[in-house]
Amino acid sequence: MPPRIPIRVALPRLAAINRPALLLPHIPQRGIKYGWSTAPPRSKHKRFNQPTSGLPALTTGPAAALKRRENTTPLRTGVLAVKKGMTSIFQGKTRVVCTVLQMDQVQVIANKTREKHGYWAVQIGLGARQGRNVTSPMLGYYEAKGIAPKAELAEFKVRNEEGLLPVGAQLLPDWFQLGQHVDVKARSRGMGFAGGMKRHGFAGQEASHGNSKNHRTIGSTGPSQGSGSRVLPGKKMPGRMGNEFVTVQNLKVLKVDNELGVVLVSGPIPGPKGRIVRLQDAKKRKAPALPYREKAREELDQRQPDLETKLEEARLRHLEMQAQRRSHMAEL
Amino acid sequence: MNAAVARQPVGCLKAALRRTRFQRSWQRCMATEAASPSIPRTAFSQRQHMEQQKVAKFQIWPQVPSPRATHPDPMPALKQQEIARLDPTGARTRLFSREHADSAKVGDVLMVTTKAGEPFSGAFIQLRRRGVDTAILLRGQMMKVGVEMWFKIYSPTVTGIDIIWRKPKRARRARLTFMRKPKHDMGSVDNLVSAWKKERYALRSKAKQGGGRQVR
Repeated sequence: MPPRIPIRVALPRLAAINRPALLLPHIPQRGIKYGWSTAPPRSKHKRFNQPTSGLPALTTGPAAALKRRENTTPLRTGVLAVKKGMTSIFQGKTRVVCTVLQMDQVQVIANKTREKHGYWAVQIGLGARQGRNVTSPMLGYYEAKGIAPKAELAEFKVRNEEGLLPVGAQLLPDWFQLGQHVDVKARSRGMGFAGGMKRHGFAGQEASHGNSKNHRTIGSTGPSQGSGSRVLPGKKMPGRMGNEFVTVQNLKVLKVDNELGVVLVSGPIPGPKGRIVRLQDAKKRKAPALPYREKAREELDQRQPDLETKLEEARLRHLEMQAQRRSHMAEL
Repeated sequence: MNAAVARQPVGCLKAALRRTRFQRSWQRCMATEAASPSIPRTAFSQRQHMEQQKVAKFQIWPQVPSPRATHPDPMPALKQQEIARLDPTGARTRLFSREHADSAKVGDVLMVTTKAGEPFSGAFIQLRRRGVDTAILLRGQMMKVGVEMWFKIYSPTVTGIDIIWRKPKRARRARLTFMRKPKHDMGSVDNLVSAWKKERYALRSKAKQGGGRQVR
């Protein structure tokens, strides 16, 4: 291509000359705009950021973030469970303390996709809730899924679309392989409003030497004039302690029992008995081997072969009920 | 009566008051009878009614099977499974059970044989009942120094527990921590152990002889 002339020069065109009606001076209209317009911008600035434009790939943004987290995102979805208590089992000669987690009616509620939501994830539900204790929007949500209302919902990110599962599938404890590692995340025990000694491990003050009624107080909160006479943001002080998410990584799965619905993981877990916990394949350990993953997936399909038809039925029923509700509202 | 009333004005007042009181109570009783049926009595409150209406608008699908229905608390079942695996004959459970009169009691002298090293014998001071984690505390002597050892009774490393000597009188404490004091310390139990071994050897040899005769 010949190099373009940077500034468009108003030259009389041959066609224009031929036509006497259009013998008007050519006015450049493209670059000049007055006022505002809702029309889309004519210039496609994105063409400069194409991979072919010779610029380095972006290190920020959704795509870069997904790429960055690829290795630490588990391949398979995790589950919700209820902490039931602690016990111990003997493995050979050694005694291993373990926490008992019960998976109660754990079902796949929805899938999130890269195209629609920006990431891959599986929404999981646990337990059951009475219909009257669920809001109308959520009742409609469960109605369309063909699932009874759940007590708890949570989302588990997975690496790619292979980690997604059919909606309505029930996950049983044998989803986890014996001896594999899992990460467990739960809210810790709430301690209420706690002082500096308990909350941050401050040393407190002396019992005597003239101390008066300040044995467990935090003391000074910062330097005086010269350093601004202010308390720096983030200063550790008394306040609400506990009831925050704590993750315990790399716990071993010691036992799974479908009949009791329990998974036994090694070691302690945050929170009291009855706490809802999230457990998923460990980020920093190898996932269960491919044959096991495939087997677990096959079993899942075998146990509930007609999930797709059920979901379709539920969708149709949902549309029906929705129409009924709308007509009812119109009557009112 | 009028004459009596006239003669006793105070008595008249009393009678009048009594009459009014009676009348009032009678009226009250009538009032309650009249009022009770007028209160509308429905089975559901307004709020419950609203909830029912809300739920009726939606299709609620049946639930999937739940282990909560069959095993609301999995802990006892799990503990039982583990105990059954570690103690298939039930001998360990029986040795420390509450039901059996001949079970080991606090204050007895026990000998625990482990996979590693020599058997340890000592006074049975304390029993910690925790299902699979049930443990006993023995106080004995090693190199003339008082030593206490905890043993998990279901541990596979514990191969045997023997009762060496039974306390003639039942201990009146659950934990015999006073046995740590010099006044009550049992000291070495070696003589008890050797006596038990001798007796056992004698019994065994007698049984052998007896058995031999029977066979012949």
